[in-house]
Amino acid sequence: MNGYLESLYPFLDESHGIPEQVRSALAASVLAKARDSLKVKRAFFTRSGGELIAAAEAVAAVYRRGGRMFTMGNGGSSCDAAHFAVEFLHPVTPGRPALTAVHLAADTAMLTAVGNDVGFDKIFVRQLIAQAAQGDGLVGFSTSGNSHNLLAAFRVAKEMQLVTLGFGGGDGGEMARSAGLDHCLVVPSASIHRVQETHVTAYHILWDLVHTLLTDVRGRRQGGSA
Amino acid sequence: MKYLEEFREPQKARALLREIARLAGRIDTCHRRPLQLMEVCGGHTHAMFRYGLEALLPDTVEFVHGPGCPVCVLPMGRVDDCVALAERTEVIFTTFGDAMRVPGSKKSLLQAKADGADVRMVYSPLDALGIARRHPDRQVVFFGLGFETTMPGTALTILQAHKEGIANFSLFCNHITIVPTIKAILDSPELTLDGFLGPGHVSMVTGTQPYQFIARRYRKPVVVTGFEPLDILQGTWMLMKQLAAGRCEVQNQYRRVVSTHGNAAALGAVQAVFELREFFEWRGLGSIDHSGVRIRSAYAAFDAERRFAVPNVRIADPTACQCGEVLKGAIRPWQCKLFGTACTPETPLGALMVSSEGACAAYHQYGYARSDRPAASPAAPVRAAT
Repeated sequence: MNGYLESLYPFLDESHGIPEQVRSALAASVLAKARDSLKVKRAFFTRSGGELIAAAEAVAAVYRRGGRMFTMGNGGSSCDAAHFAVEFLHPVTPGRPALTAVHLAADTAMLTAVGNDVGFDKIFVRQLIAQAAQGDGLVGFSTSGNSHNLLAAFRVAKEMQLVTLGFGGGDGGEMARSAGLDHCLVVPSASIHRVQETHVTAYHILWDLVHTLLTDVRGRRQGGSA
Repeated sequence: MKYLEEFREPQKARALLREIARLAGRIDTCHRRPLQLMEVCGGHTHAMFRYGLEALLPDTVEFVHGPGCPVCVLPMGRVDDCVALAERTEVIFTTFGDAMRVPGSKKSLLQAKADGADVRMVYSPLDALGIARRHPDRQVVFFGLGFETTMPGTALTILQAHKEGIANFSLFCNHITIVPTIKAILDSPELTLDGFLGPGHVSMVTGTQPYQFIARRYRKPVVVTGFEPLDILQGTWMLMKQLAAGRCEVQNQYRRVVSTHGNAAALGAVQAVFELREFFEWRGLGSIDHSGVRIRSAYAAFDAERRFAVPNVRIADPTACQCGEVLKGAIRPWQCKLFGTACTPETPLGALMVSSEGACAAYHQYGYARSDRPAASPAAPVRAAT
């Protein structure tokens, strides 16, 4: 191959070495992506900081009345839903109590049963109907805001009088326009990666806020048992 | 007409069709579905419909219309960027005509022109450079769009502007490369293609050499093919001969234009001016690594993206639009729920309806309208998708 084609189609080069020119381009790309991630986070927290505090107050209220949180998402967002749940179940900060959170994608028997017998759109709804009660909370992650199984679960959760919280991306999709959500935190980016990176930061902060808001309750409980 | 009629002779076409049918009968014995051949280039798609070639092929051979129409794969956000540039008072925005009607999220360049923006249609980037010479008090932006075919012309224009020191000329670069996209299609887990009619115009610049990986790594035959009816039928016949013999090679049907090693002067200009982007977004196909180019820093003064604040916002396609599925060959244009109703050449929603080289526009223009669906009319020349 002549040099012109190699520069236009580097994947045709079968030597598998990384030319210095490519290496420096990759280094620049790393920094550009990190800057982009920072920019997206700054835009999100500037716009939605107040909404995040309101959401934390709602989640704190769920726990204050002895309720439970349920979490859901698909794919990478399912991992975020699991991460959200474990933050509450197994707090990393010593002295903070464990709070009940149930990840709805954890039960493979239930997921495959409902998915196969009823439909994938119902995998979260059926679990909510079986497990949730008035006053509990439901949090869902969808980078597009258009996941049908989440939207269906939010609608039912609202009918069951659960507190509902959505983490979305882009323009928020259907989730942002749905009457089934009390709080919808939308990261203004079309990049799924940048959206999910911001979600992680947001729910870490939310977890912190919830515990701060629950301090008075914890204090009373600790005082009562002493 | 000399150099045209000899490529449109009915007798030769009939002979090729007979041979194709004979080979299809042989190949059919070892395939349980129709053969699927992708014509990569939008020019091929247009020619096939113009001459009704698809309807003449045996039922066991299907063409899948590939992503080789640069206007069709332009993401909506880039059109919005064009409009934002065009609406700047100091800018004269110049573009090829077929990009004028591509819908952005709010308006097309044609609508921006109607609203007062100074948008001018040109036939060559050198025309845009001429406008810059005549209007030194204005900023002239050229909308660089197209595959390897048009890239050298833009590169040479930048070199010319640099040589003349024309400071009020810049390029909004949206040039893309087709070869990585063919690779992305081949890497698709749903791949059902049996062979490729390689792009004729792109290969005029690149030569046939870049396609060797398709035969070697993916075991798919490629025949680089011209655009006249006999070119396409001969290219199809050559593909079928390879498939019948179990061969996977890169062959060149378009020898009167395409060489093995391409045009060194054109490739040299491209290499001097452009470098690869890490990735580029294709409408309907998503981001494809190393599939677009940008201006090298040595010529940064001519880069409109650096000269102006371009919004660069990604816009999702309309949810009902199925251009992506058509581009990947998953559905036929008439199977899109918008085809011929909400989306027509007069009021296009999807990009495939905008350009005459788009598959939807070709289906619509040559009479494959909704009412002609095979389900509704058994005599219709289009076969149902598998």
